[in-house]
Amino acid sequence: MRIKLTSLMVDDQDKALKFYTDLLGFRKKHEFPAGAYKWLTVISPEGPEDIELSLEPNANPAAKTFQKAMFDQKIPLAAFEVGDIEKEYARLAAAGVVFTTKPTRMGPVTIAVLSDTCGNLIQLYQPTM
Amino acid sequence: MLLAGYTFRNLCRARELLAESPDEHLSVKYIAREVAISPYHFIRQFEAVFGMTPHQFRIQSRLDRAKLLLAMGERSVTDVCMEVGFSSLGSFSDLFTRRFGSSPSAYKRHARTMVQVPGNFPQELFPGCLSLMGALPASAFRNFQEARPSLLR
Repeated sequence: MRIKLTSLMVDDQDKALKFYTDLLGFRKKHEFPAGAYKWLTVISPEGPEDIELSLEPNANPAAKTFQKAMFDQKIPLAAFEVGDIEKEYARLAAAGVVFTTKPTRMGPVTIAVLSDTCGNLIQLYQPTM
Repeated sequence: MLLAGYTFRNLCRARELLAESPDEHLSVKYIAREVAISPYHFIRQFEAVFGMTPHQFRIQSRLDRAKLLLAMGERSVTDVCMEVGFSSLGSFSDLFTRRFGSSPSAYKRHARTMVQVPGNFPQELFPGCLSLMGALPASAFRNFQEARPSLLR
């Protein structure tokens, strides 16, 4: 058993693709129409090409409720590792990305939390040990 | 931009107020005042956090509710249009079509063929996490190892 695919729910797949590629720097891997929606995945240019993040429509009312509750409680729904968190924070903040937590040391990692504009909080972390 | 904790909470509260008052009886200016942010900063910060302006969010909330009501199949398109706060059937229909890719009446007809038990919606109408993958033909995958085994049978 391997971890090769995980997903995030987003309120608009086109907007999400723009945010995750143009701003976060991921690369589109798959984009297939599936009814009114798409099968849409991105990969990291720095990571293995076969580990994909699916950007799924949060069309299901139950998904919306879950996503909103987690957001309101300031709980990130995904975490991405970065090499230099201060540099990423400065770059993304300058590009207009909103952070709810600035780079902060938390034991073995330094974390920062941003809004992906699609209904999720995303944590960036840099291992410090 | 780094948001202060209280601004984050206020923006979340504003989002709730917008979703709860789809018919615009609470103006954006009123909601900004309610959460103690100037209207200019409110619109700017709301858009930076949620990826759409308060007005766009309100329209989206109305259309999502309309979609649910249409899928339930008990109300006419005109009734649903009024229920979610649109006064013009034309602009409702136009916005609905642009967001969901089919007109309200076409969506209602499509939903009616799929919903057997009221309130029990099939995945095709409101897909859940990763469920889209199951709707794809095997040919959509670059190689068969990427497809779910059930798609290959």
